[in-house]
Amino acid sequence: MELAQRDKLSELVEELTTSGQQQLNQEKIKEIKKICRLSKDYVDHVYDSVMAQLDKEHAEIRLSAFQIASELFSRSHQFRIRLVDNFQEFLELTVETDSDQPLPPPKEVAKKLKISAIKTIQSWQAQYGTAYKKLALGYHFMKQVKNVDFNDVQARTVAERSRENERQRRMERIYKDRVETAAKEMEESHQEIETTVTEMKSCLKLLLPDEFGLSDQTAPGPDSRTLGDTAPGGRGLASRQLSEEHRPGSSLTAEEAIGKEKNGGNNERRQEEDEKKCLDARMEEKPSLETFETVELEGREELSMKQEEKEVDRDEEETWMNDVSYEDVFIRNSGLISHSYTLNINVESDVQVKETDDNEAVVSTLIELHRLITTKHLPAVKSWVQVFTRSGPEQLQLLRSALLLKMSLESLLKKEKLLHIDYKTRIRKVTRATADVEEDDEEEDEDDFEEVPEKEGFEPHIPDHLREEYGLEPSASTSAAPSTQRALPKRPAPVVSPSTTARRLRRRLEEERDPTCAAATLHLLKGQMRPCTGPSPRVSEPPSPAVGSAPAGGDGAPDAPIVPFGLDLYYWGEKQPGAGKMIKSTSQHRFWVPSEVDEETENPELLAESSSRYISFPGTFTPVSHHCNALLGNGRLCPRQDRVKCPFHGVIVPRDARGRPSRAEDRAREEREERRHRESHPDWQDVELMQDIEAATGEDLGSKRLLGKGKGKGKGKYPNLSNLKKSANTSRSRLENKVFNKKSVRRVSEVMTKIDSRKHEKFSNQFNYALN
Amino acid sequence: MLGYISGRKVGIDDPLRLRRAESTRRLLSLELNHGRDVERIHGNGVNCLDIEAVEGRYMLSGGADGVIVIYDLENYSGKPQYTCKAVGTVGRSSRFAHKFSVETVQWYPFDTGMFISSSFDKTMKVWDTETLKPAERFMFDGNVYCHHMSPVARKHSLVAVGTKNPKLQLCDLKSGSRIHVLQGHRAEILSVRWSPRNEHILASASADSTVRIWDVRRASGSLFTLDQHNGDKSKAAAEAVNTAHNGRVNGLCFSGDGLYLITMGTDDRMRLWNSSNGENTLVNYGKVSNESRKGLKFTVSTGCSLDCVFVPCGSSVAVYGLHSGELVATLRGHYNNVDCCDFHPDYQELYTGGKDCNVLAWIPALRAPDVEEEREVRPPLRQLPLVSKPHPAPLAGGNAFHVWNAFHVWDAFHTWNAFNSSNKTQSVVVVFGGGKLMTLFLFIVEICIVYKSMSDLYHKLICSVISVVKTNA
Repeated sequence: MELAQRDKLSELVEELTTSGQQQLNQEKIKEIKKICRLSKDYVDHVYDSVMAQLDKEHAEIRLSAFQIASELFSRSHQFRIRLVDNFQEFLELTVETDSDQPLPPPKEVAKKLKISAIKTIQSWQAQYGTAYKKLALGYHFMKQVKNVDFNDVQARTVAERSRENERQRRMERIYKDRVETAAKEMEESHQEIETTVTEMKSCLKLLLPDEFGLSDQTAPGPDSRTLGDTAPGGRGLASRQLSEEHRPGSSLTAEEAIGKEKNGGNNERRQEEDEKKCLDARMEEKPSLETFETVELEGREELSMKQEEKEVDRDEEETWMNDVSYEDVFIRNSGLISHSYTLNINVESDVQVKETDDNEAVVSTLIELHRLITTKHLPAVKSWVQVFTRSGPEQLQLLRSALLLKMSLESLLKKEKLLHIDYKTRIRKVTRATADVEEDDEEEDEDDFEEVPEKEGFEPHIPDHLREEYGLEPSASTSAAPSTQRALPKRPAPVVSPSTTARRLRRRLEEERDPTCAAATLHLLKGQMRPCTGPSPRVSEPPSPAVGSAPAGGDGAPDAPIVPFGLDLYYWGEKQPGAGKMIKSTSQHRFWVPSEVDEETENPELLAESSSRYISFPGTFTPVSHHCNALLGNGRLCPRQDRVKCPFHGVIVPRDARGRPSRAEDRAREEREERRHRESHPDWQDVELMQDIEAATGEDLGSKRLLGKGKGKGKGKYPNLSNLKKSANTSRSRLENKVFNKKSVRRVSEVMTKIDSRKHEKFSNQFNYALN
Repeated sequence: MLGYISGRKVGIDDPLRLRRAESTRRLLSLELNHGRDVERIHGNGVNCLDIEAVEGRYMLSGGADGVIVIYDLENYSGKPQYTCKAVGTVGRSSRFAHKFSVETVQWYPFDTGMFISSSFDKTMKVWDTETLKPAERFMFDGNVYCHHMSPVARKHSLVAVGTKNPKLQLCDLKSGSRIHVLQGHRAEILSVRWSPRNEHILASASADSTVRIWDVRRASGSLFTLDQHNGDKSKAAAEAVNTAHNGRVNGLCFSGDGLYLITMGTDDRMRLWNSSNGENTLVNYGKVSNESRKGLKFTVSTGCSLDCVFVPCGSSVAVYGLHSGELVATLRGHYNNVDCCDFHPDYQELYTGGKDCNVLAWIPALRAPDVEEEREVRPPLRQLPLVSKPHPAPLAGGNAFHVWNAFHVWDAFHTWNAFNSSNKTQSVVVVFGGGKLMTLFLFIVEICIVYKSMSDLYHKLICSVISVVKTNA
């Protein structure tokens, strides 16, 4: 046996086992096999080194060693003899037969090692079990005493299996409990949900009546009806618009009606089909929702396609309309404008329900219901569905009903969404209404929270800084009156029909005449205010010197604080008589009179108190609104919001969208810095490359210096193995690092000793403190 | 080997020498042989084993779950591969079975029709082998750790029983009653042994770390206690009684000739004592790992020039030279703790039982044929027994010879092959007579002989003698 070969073998084994790879390097293992073929002694040597590696407390090393062993086991008789001879130890190290010697970390690899070892041993037993007695014995031992189930791929021990069972049982119990509670809940709130659904339905019906197709009376299921309201709903809107806005040439002619009929007929037919589809879909419980949605979408798309097909420009239409002379006769005869008449109706696919005074109540109810559904019912129903689906097939009935509920709720929501009700407008209006009408009430409410000077009646002028408080937009204009109008143009649908404006105007007039209404007061005040627009706020505001929090104190010195009145102010600029003098009364004692008593003593503290005053200027916190915006490595901009200086990119300077400083001098400075950095770490000095070169040539290129500066120390002996000592990044370990690091421990101990010593100083005359 | 044979041939050697040499060789070559299995009956650890002394054919085993199994060790199948079959089982389903772990089983030393078992269920049962029913039951107050019957007693049939009670109980099989107690120990008795030399001498080991030697004819107290310091007062701490170990003494075994006593303690020591005067021979066995907290069953080989002690040590069996104290070999085959072992004195085989439910047979390796032998060699089924006592197998043909010794010598076979230049012969040495008047016959037997049994063998031997070498010393 040559020494060189021997060393090579040891080296190969070590390299293979410390590679940290899950699979062996085929070339190296081939080399080992080649050497082993030469002589038995080599096999023995490999066996020894493999066993030594197997003994290491690292699962990755063990896994690789085991893989080497299994490679050689099938090849070499000598290896088999040696291994089987020491099979107990082998089992202990790979299959964890001894519970006192658990497999080392990392856990995942250990698990893999165990599973593969069990599999391999089974195959060994099948192949060599008859020839090697101890192998068979070991196999039987594992099978019968250790109860290793060789068919179980998980290779779990009995304890693991029982634990698993236990866990499963517990989970089942939990699920059962959940199902029960959910069922009960559902029973309880089913009624409520039903009511909500009905209410919502009727609200929707009120908003968009049945004849426009939003009804669901005809369709039995909750899902089929939503289909109806897409297409015909759109048409409903069109007609509505037509009727409302009196578009030129938009009187409903017979042709249109016919065309509509046709269209509607088509639609109806399709609707029927879709209904069928939906019903089919509903049969398969779960995916029904998705199918339903797609069907709906398809329906919509098809509709629009058809419309497009029929499309003719509106101009064209108008020309037709203008050319009355020719068509007059024809119309009279047939009711049709032309033989080749094609009607183009520009149907908006979306319904737009505008909220008016008429439907205000309905809409608000709708909003309430919407909120109720989205915040309460739908999550509840969803959780039920989840619970029931997880509980398995026995809760099918419950699941079905829960799904039905969910579907109906969701379809309602969807329908409501399709209506495109302008909530925002509405909400603004509501707040404005309260701001107008219930101003005083609000004031009263706010009184609870903040002390505010009493106000008489309506406050005609709201200072700018308070506008926000009142729910108003900061605006330069003074009076609240235009705010009614201000809200209007905000609406996304700016088409205000003259009738509605007229009505609104009329309504306001009525309100103004009503003395109980806020509008009346407003009107009154408007008259008063008009002459004195834009008076200084100080005049109108009641003087409030005590309130330091009023920031808009004066025009000239907005930052000067208002301080309470004191002695120092009283004697401002004068010499204070007798300030800081303490007068001690002479002793009243009869006999024990001190020889000399200072009757008056100067107390510097007192003096200072009466002549000076602390005024603190803490300033107010203004949140930082700018970002650092320097270009990051990943192409984004640095999102840090430091006030002056970013810890990574230095002083914050204005930058453009690409992260470059917008000022020239900043740009120059950055370039300079970068150049300097590049000079110290040139690009070509890639550390790894340098290390490779060093390893190859043996010359020191200074990679260590760079490494030491950049990354710190390299990894230990085996860089490929996963590091066992590296503690997991858990919250606990992080806390431990914080709490137990040397500095903090030292600091804490210092503080403690200081406390102790202080005690010692204080109570040193007491024996129990004097002792230590 | 040849030297021994020729020495014996010419009568210059004691006949024991050859036997001793061969048995020692066998002893040292014990290995786990895949040719011999013991049927897997026990579903739990095997606590005790006993091979009967009458024929050496049957083996008892007691399991930790109360199961008792009788194995047949003799191979009549004619194939080298043999699995020792269980010929009788007292299983868990039997209503007579012990409730708890069976701690000791022992054959009645003079007949295989009876055996005794004791258990942690506080009973000792005397069984009828034929029906596998208990013929007698003894109840005790505490767990029964051990019992033993004298292998040589002709005048009494006493069973010594060690229980949790510090009093050593003596049960008489004749009357079926507990007739006597021997008082002296202070803690439970973990092991008792009768001397194989003197039928009235009894040794007992206790958890109070003493070993006492009793003469059952003298009831007042023990003869003496073994002292590990041999009366050296300076070493013995201020203890009133002599101690054999510094911990519990849980193993006890007489050497084959009864001259020595071996004790095991939980202080991981094994000690060899002169059984006649209780002197510590101070043989150093080193650290002998002893994890058992019950009685430990270990055994000693007999009839070898280098007698060995077989001690269960964890999952292996350590073989120590009895007098030298050196570790001769370690037999590794069990996958869990070994609980007991028993030595077959005729075939030099070792049987071990362990917590991994296995009973393993350790068989002496066969002598490998010489390298120059090229022809096919048929291996024998089992090496012939080396018996020192009259073999009970009758000789066919009413032969008046008294067979003292019969064994198969593989070397002799080769020698005679060379001598004979006959390719198809096999030699058997049979020695007639003994002592000074020894006759050595060497039979060259045709190889086709199949040994069915010992008697069969002798029959064939007599019938097919080809040549006889006769020497008179």
